[in-house]
Amino acid sequence: MNPLLAQFLAEAADLLTQVDEGLLQLERTPGDPEMVNEVFRAAHTFKGSSGLFDFPELTRLTHAAEDLLDAVRAGALPLDSGMTDDLLAAFDLIRGWLAHVTSNECLPATAGADAAALITRLRAPIGGEKVKVETTVAVARRDSAPAWLAYFDEEWLAETAAWLRTTSAQMRFIRYVPDSGCFFRAEDPLHLIRQVPALERLGLIEPVEWPEAADYDEYACMVAFVFAARAAVGEIDYLFRYVSDQIEVVDLDGDTIQRYLSGEAEADAAAPSEADEPGTVDTVRSSPSEPELVADARAILTAALRSLAINPTGHVHLVSVANAITAAAHALGDPVEIREPDVVALTATVTRLLGDTPPPEDAVSTAPIEPIPVDRGRADDPGGQVGSRILKVDQEKVDHLMELVGELNVAKNGLTFLAQAAEEEFGSRALSRRIKDQYSGLHRIAEELQASVMDIRMLPLSVAFSRFPRLVRDLSRRLGKNIELVLTGEDTMADKDVIEALGDPLVHLVRNSLDHGVETVDERLATGKPGTARITLAAVADGDAVVVEISDDGRGVDPTRVRRKAYEKGLISEEELETLSDSDAVDLVFRPGFSTAEQISDLSGRGVGMDAVRASVEKLGGAVTMRSELGSGTTVRLRLPLSMAVTQVMVFSVAGQRFGIPVDLVVETVRVPAAEMSRVLHQDVVVLRGEVVPVLDLARALDMPWTPDQTQDRAILIVGVNGQRVGLLVEQFHREVDVILKPMEGLLAYANEFSGTALLGDGLVLLVLNMKEVLGLAARVG
Amino acid sequence: MTTVMLVDDSATMLMSLKSILTKAGYSVETAEHGKQALDKLGKGVKPNLIISDVNMPQMDGITFVREARKAPGMRFTPMLMLTTESEQTKRTEAKSAGATGWLVKPVSPDQLLGVIKQVLPGA
Amino acid sequence: MPLELGDTTATLTGVVTVDEVEELAAWLQATAKPRVNLRKCNHLHTGALQAMLRFRPKVSAAPTDAFLAGQVLPLLEGSGGEPTRQGSEPP
Repeated sequence: MNPLLAQFLAEAADLLTQVDEGLLQLERTPGDPEMVNEVFRAAHTFKGSSGLFDFPELTRLTHAAEDLLDAVRAGALPLDSGMTDDLLAAFDLIRGWLAHVTSNECLPATAGADAAALITRLRAPIGGEKVKVETTVAVARRDSAPAWLAYFDEEWLAETAAWLRTTSAQMRFIRYVPDSGCFFRAEDPLHLIRQVPALERLGLIEPVEWPEAADYDEYACMVAFVFAARAAVGEIDYLFRYVSDQIEVVDLDGDTIQRYLSGEAEADAAAPSEADEPGTVDTVRSSPSEPELVADARAILTAALRSLAINPTGHVHLVSVANAITAAAHALGDPVEIREPDVVALTATVTRLLGDTPPPEDAVSTAPIEPIPVDRGRADDPGGQVGSRILKVDQEKVDHLMELVGELNVAKNGLTFLAQAAEEEFGSRALSRRIKDQYSGLHRIAEELQASVMDIRMLPLSVAFSRFPRLVRDLSRRLGKNIELVLTGEDTMADKDVIEALGDPLVHLVRNSLDHGVETVDERLATGKPGTARITLAAVADGDAVVVEISDDGRGVDPTRVRRKAYEKGLISEEELETLSDSDAVDLVFRPGFSTAEQISDLSGRGVGMDAVRASVEKLGGAVTMRSELGSGTTVRLRLPLSMAVTQVMVFSVAGQRFGIPVDLVVETVRVPAAEMSRVLHQDVVVLRGEVVPVLDLARALDMPWTPDQTQDRAILIVGVNGQRVGLLVEQFHREVDVILKPMEGLLAYANEFSGTALLGDGLVLLVLNMKEVLGLAARVG
Repeated sequence: MTTVMLVDDSATMLMSLKSILTKAGYSVETAEHGKQALDKLGKGVKPNLIISDVNMPQMDGITFVREARKAPGMRFTPMLMLTTESEQTKRTEAKSAGATGWLVKPVSPDQLLGVIKQVLPGA
Repeated sequence: MPLELGDTTATLTGVVTVDEVEELAAWLQATAKPRVNLRKCNHLHTGALQAMLRFRPKVSAAPTDAFLAGQVLPLLEGSGGEPTRQGSEPP
């Protein structure tokens, strides 16, 4: 592979990571300007580099993403979750493409089609594709001469006028007034003029009055120039593109100059009018006789303009457009020269040609002219390949299907309420049973349907892992460490949302391992380890969950040091300092405010610690644990649900209100006579099979008024959180339901004790508890 | 020997421009962002031309140009910005900060060498 | 060395860049009847041209460079940038 492409792919991996991280973070803290800027910059860099290769779809897609992010950055529109989804989808698509590029050095044949829909979506919030028609230099063709013609040598002007009249030709006249500070931008006007091809004559505009010798500032530019040349518009355009506001260009024929010289025409000191009337098109040009030819040429030019706007890059593309323009210009009898085709010059040329050429009278000018197809991405697309059994489906459609499955589940759950009502309100046990039968039939179908949809959404973990070989290689180089990365279980499948969400924590953990876990070669050799360290990323499916382990054979976490640091930071008491077991001590690194690194390194980032990793994994309904042995390495284990789309929750009520809790957390439900509850150290406890389990009064923790009926048994929900069993005192248990958990929005967004809401079959909104926060809350309430 | 300083946070961009320039016989200095480039200028690196990206971490290209103009011997050094077609306003900003001109990404070897010829008399 | 400044004559060689402008301007200002030898000069920075326009040295040797000789030298030798009266004298 060409080393530049290899470099790009390596960089792309990093940039994609940055974009993902940034977007996900933006979803948590919307509108963080620093973060928006960071994501924008990554997208921008990506686009810039992608242009170096012939990947037009990649450039177009990143361009669209960049424009959207730019609008967000400028504050023109707020980033909503829909846009975030589209952006993530765009960068997901790109990641897939790059995997293809890595193996085939070209984009997949379907890239153009895949990108088109996303580009439209990305551009929708910013009002569609921006069509930039940039005309840098407006060339006025006019029949009155500008006053500045006076700065040319009169004799030369007279000769030129005579020649131009004899030959029915015209010449281009330019006035160039540099600003006085131009030397300090390294501009040298004379050097610029020297480069004008076919320069005929140079004239000078001196200041009306030179300053006194003593006041003379040699670095203030006080002179200006006029010059005449036979250079093409494109050439003038190119040379003066950095100072286009300082030049004025007019094309004059012999008669005009003659009229000026003889004083017939009033010299026109005003700026040249932007668009001359079509009627003033000079007679010099041999006008094409056939209106059809003009119509065709105009069609080509219109198409070229469209094509330039749609696809402004790619040398091959531009050359072909340039050829089309040259041909059209020739047909119009106004040949143009295009040397180095660049989009700005081409656009300007086309705009001028179109402006100069009125549509022929008998041509149907109102009919929109279809652009020449320019989508090169489809050239090698198999398109409607016969016999292909693979359907490509828009991700949006799958997402929609998933939503419908969720709705179906909710509707299905409604049947159980109906069954209950049939029995309790209408006293018909038979009807209740029939409804329940219907329910179980429907339930089975819904489950199968859900499983199939989930299966469509499944992606291999290699998608999440693919960026690491490069990342590890580059970072280890930067750190001067030798690291071998081992990937296993890459073909383990998980829902695309899970894979997406896994990226952020995984990158952090791997970077952490590289940065803090793995020792330098010298350190390793000194302790008798092989010089090359090993970082393993392993994935394995475990029932409804996927387990990902990141392990290294580095220096490990020193529990003594962790204990001391945690104590110094006030995270643990003096007592805990003495008594905390080593494995519990290691777990301290997940506490907010704890950071093992003595100094923040640029690798593991600014102050984002393990607590953030744990928080983000737990937000996905997963868990993180760490095992470490001092001197021989660290293993971090992430356990995530295979799918985030549907959650099974257990419904119960407290103080008359229903709440939900993820079924995964529920160990068992028990009913205990009030008398068997006891108190140990101000803490209600219940003894279950010889184990003392603390019991929290959920109503009290949630600040809801409720006094349990003393005569009734206590309903206690036993949950397992962080490996501990805790009992929750509730009012009543209900059933388990499948719900689509929606994140908390609006006023409740900051209510951390809830992880989300779900719509129940009977239309009630269920609040689902975030157990970890609830336990914290309970501890504070006391 | 004519020295060109390249400032870009994208390693790909640096690599591509550097290879073009080196092949054409220029000596090349690189920096990943404005701060690093300013450090180099402060330490006596005297490029004949600076080409800088606009969007960079630490210090953006426009601030960099404004600061670089104040560095010793850099008053009249041509400075070009690497921009995208959409960055029209950035170009104007860059010019008022003291940039000589700009290049539009992606930059072809012809464009790059052509612009150097254009802005460097005697190059 | 692009700039060789004698008592009355300055010899400009090769490319005269902006870096030479200050020195040249100072010399032109300080010299009573300055003469400038442009024979081996290949390019004049606009600032150098401007200083010569301001202090009007005598060009003792014309440049061999085509652009300087053909386009710039007439400006230095001409009557200055006074605009010709438009249309006052028909040719």
